[in-house]
Amino acid sequence: MSTLHGVLLAPGLLILAGLVVAPITLMAIDSFRPFVGGRIGAGAGWTLANYVELIAPAYAYYFWDTFRIGFLVSITALFLGTPLAWRAARSERRPVRVCIFGLLIGLLFMSLIAKLYAVQMTWGPTGPFAFFGALIGVPVRSPGYAEVQVFIGLLHFVLAPATLMMIGTFQNISPRLEEAAASLGAPRWRVAVDVTLPLATPGLLATFMIVFAVCISNFLVPLILGRGVVLFTTNLMYTRFADVANYPSGAAIGIIMILVAGGLMYALALLVRRLAPGETGG
Amino acid sequence: MRWQRRWQAFGDGAAGALVLLLIIVTVLFLVLPIGVSFILSFDDREFIGAFPPEKFSLRWYHSFWQNPGYLDGLVVSIELAVLATAISTVAGAAAAFVLAETRWRGRGSVEMLFLSPKFVPTVVIGFSMLGFASAAHVFDAFTRLAMGHVVITIPFTVRATLASLVGNRRSLGEAAISLGATPWRAFLDIDLPLARTGIIAGALMAFVLSFDEVAVSIFLTDAYTQTLPIALVAEMRANLNLTVAAVSTVFTTIAVVIVVLLDRTAGLDNVIGKGMYRG
Repeated sequence: MSTLHGVLLAPGLLILAGLVVAPITLMAIDSFRPFVGGRIGAGAGWTLANYVELIAPAYAYYFWDTFRIGFLVSITALFLGTPLAWRAARSERRPVRVCIFGLLIGLLFMSLIAKLYAVQMTWGPTGPFAFFGALIGVPVRSPGYAEVQVFIGLLHFVLAPATLMMIGTFQNISPRLEEAAASLGAPRWRVAVDVTLPLATPGLLATFMIVFAVCISNFLVPLILGRGVVLFTTNLMYTRFADVANYPSGAAIGIIMILVAGGLMYALALLVRRLAPGETGG
Repeated sequence: MRWQRRWQAFGDGAAGALVLLLIIVTVLFLVLPIGVSFILSFDDREFIGAFPPEKFSLRWYHSFWQNPGYLDGLVVSIELAVLATAISTVAGAAAAFVLAETRWRGRGSVEMLFLSPKFVPTVVIGFSMLGFASAAHVFDAFTRLAMGHVVITIPFTVRATLASLVGNRRSLGEAAISLGATPWRAFLDIDLPLARTGIIAGALMAFVLSFDEVAVSIFLTDAYTQTLPIALVAEMRANLNLTVAAVSTVFTTIAVVIVVLLDRTAGLDNVIGKGMYRG
């Protein structure tokens, strides 16, 4: 470490220490403070009440909803994204690749608000796909349809990044292994199931966990498409602050969300370390 | 043997058709809503009616330009995105240089620290920033917003610069120093130009991210300083109105332009191939 290195590293470290570590430490402290009505911040003394109240069924339900919908969306994103990712990774033709890459990167750069609005206009009550609700037995104007819309909105949001991550996975599997199996007489679907899929499993699992983490920490999708019927923990946290100004309670929810996100990332790191040696570099 | 081969051909064909069907469904799922929103943005009706519209006009684009709330929001959003991108690009790229070039104890933890805002839910960043700003007596909304936006964008500038610094560039800088250049000279003449693509890519991502941000901004705006996304979200929650469709179409066009520029300059194959978006 020279002076130059110190000078270059200092601004970033100051930003991280001042604007990430300090606020989150302060929030952690506030989460153990009692709630005093009518002000931002918290009262004096220490309490566990903010955490204890989250165990109540009314609050636990928000966590359950968040995880349940996040899980369903992640599974569906993997199921729908895998064929597209595989095609993009394996295609010899540049136009095919450029079209798929262009679509996915364009969606990545496209405003989430614009995407959610488009979903609402397409699958909502006036949209051309409004019949979908009747098709699955959840009428488009019923409260239950809010969950369907949140599902569709989240799926639209995560599908492009999930597919891009999986393209990387398939690119790192040597096509020679597939060719070898095929030349030994295996039909194409058996090559996919017996050769490609097992080799892709670590990458697909990693994608699943990242997508799941993105889903459960999303705020905007349930805010706009949830119609107040579907609320994620993120929305609960906002409500605790915006509607009842209960800062300590919001802080406790925030700490739990950090722990959940951290736990997921830790599990992901363990998974990658365990499965990585078996992965074939491309 | 012959019937077995036929069965195999049939199985291959069915599996191929199924994969193709899934690909078509996925692409339609992604593209159709954007097309619907595009068409609706030209709807001549005053209300949101059944799709498709019968008459077309530019009324919703006019309505956007005549809405001072949106225009003020647009100005705030652009100023904020430019400021946040500038700060996080300079600070993030500088830190990435050190992280890529040096090996020391605790280096891994510092790198984790720089990437950590990516793993903290953005709502938590906004919430904690509000409490912190209040405790630090920062009551100006624009300053608060800038603080929040720098935090959420810095992992992306660090990550993109780090990705462009892999390979043999360390030895190039060392070669320059061994030939008599000062470390500063080597940094400015060798390291900085080599990392240019990564720095630009990081800055682009930071700008897009900041411009579209809601979860952090919703805590940090006040009645006088609103960003465009916050104004749009308020509109979408209150009364659904096709002005948002017009704005969405503009946003979509910008995304398309970015992709075309990316393909013309770097080539989409290279962008994906480098694994810039992974993880």
